Amino acid sequence: MSAFTIARIDLKRLAVRPFAWTLAGITLAMMAWQFLLGVSAFMHAQPTVPGPVMGPGFTDSVVAPYLLNYIQLCLVIAPLITMQALAGERGAQRLALLSASGASGAHIVLGKFIARLAFLWLLLVVVATLPLVLGGATHPDWGQFGAALLATALCVAALTAIGIACSAFTPEPALAATAALLIGEALSLIDAGVRITGGGGGWLGYLALHTHLAPAMRGLVRSEDIVYFVLIVALALALAIRRVAAERERG
Amino acid sequence: MAKPPALLQLDHVSRRLSGREVLHDLSFSLQRDDVLGLLGVNGAGKSTTLAIVAGVLQPDAGTVRIDDRVVNDDLPTIRARIGWVPESVPLWPELTVSESLDACGRLRDLPNAVRKTACEREIARLELESVAHRLCGQLSLGQKRRVGLAQALLHEPDLLVLDEPGNGLDPVQTSQLRELIAGLSPKRGIILSSHELAEVEATCNRVVILHEGRMRHDAPLGASLDDRRGKLDAQFRAIAAQPAGVAA
Repeated sequence: MSAFTIARIDLKRLAVRPFAWTLAGITLAMMAWQFLLGVSAFMHAQPTVPGPVMGPGFTDSVVAPYLLNYIQLCLVIAPLITMQALAGERGAQRLALLSASGASGAHIVLGKFIARLAFLWLLLVVVATLPLVLGGATHPDWGQFGAALLATALCVAALTAIGIACSAFTPEPALAATAALLIGEALSLIDAGVRITGGGGGWLGYLALHTHLAPAMRGLVRSEDIVYFVLIVALALALAIRRVAAERERG
Repeated sequence: MAKPPALLQLDHVSRRLSGREVLHDLSFSLQRDDVLGLLGVNGAGKSTTLAIVAGVLQPDAGTVRIDDRVVNDDLPTIRARIGWVPESVPLWPELTVSESLDACGRLRDLPNAVRKTACEREIARLELESVAHRLCGQLSLGQKRRVGLAQALLHEPDLLVLDEPGNGLDPVQTSQLRELIAGLSPKRGIILSSHELAEVEATCNRVVILHEGRMRHDAPLGASLDDRRGKLDAQFRAIAAQPAGVAA
């Protein structure tokens, strides 16, 4: 059995849950509104900004802030969509059912992670189609767009992994969501003070999501940023796997 | 001729949960064709014993063997030989009965053709045809129990572990469950827990009585139902009335 079997079951369950559809509907409506506001602001400001070579273009002014808004929304959505993943399953004995069926802790955690990530990435695809449809009418910087999309996808994966880890360590889904939200917000705001005062980041800066998102939003893909997100995913999933694998011992 | 190894063998199994010793030095065995009833009052350690047998919980001390193979040493292989239905049946409420069975077949790595046949076989055996396309979350308790059993039987396990299978069933469903267990037992070992004496008397050929995590009685039941009736009741009441810490 592979993690994909568990992911397939969970995706099927997500697909019939009103909660997932409501969450998706609200997210897409909010993102569409943000996009319209962004385009409107860009069109109003366009006559006043410098020429196309010097000034910020459509990708800088609309697409990058738009994708950052999706990440801000994911700080809330990811905990909500992951909170039941393990915490809710444990109470209903479904985690034990998976174990009794032969699934290892790694299979369970990876399966749950893949299903939730697929849901959030699917939303990201829909979110990304809005700027794409304007591609014919304007001149987006495709390289910058791709870099921003990659960073967004990686950041969403990191937030999902954090949510899964919190769900593994807490008995109640609400507690898992709260913990994931707090960790996500902490990573988002950890260097806010330093940024406002214009100081250097240091290790606080390295931990902050913004430090690793900002270059990609300008079109710069740095390996250290990719490593940062991959490290968060790996660490969170490793902790979750350890916790689920220890269920037999803990009871 | 050498005696074949027991299908299930528990040796000196102990387990603590939340700082409390739930099982203490528990040893018993189960032969193929046996239907063993674990009897005990609430909190006696029945569910913990069954969870350990099913490989869901790890014993703190002692060993559990299936056909002489230690469960901890080869967990994935051993789990493939066990079907487990816990007291609260774990179902996916968002899936239909047939989807749920198909999912369990996939979890068990059954090939496509085998999985399809197994699902049809269990739906027919557990008389689930009328609810096959209904969501599991919409089923009655009796139907949920039957779906749980179907999930556990899908891979034709050698050992069936049933935790309080008769809980919440009406008399008709209880009678159907007894017939089902009788039909399943010739091919496999069955271990079930209950605090209902009548259920154990009617379905089992052996009984183990647990009290405060310790085994107090392990013996075959009398051949006829008349022999069984009354004796077990008296033994169970005497054991259940014993204060904590009294040895058997």
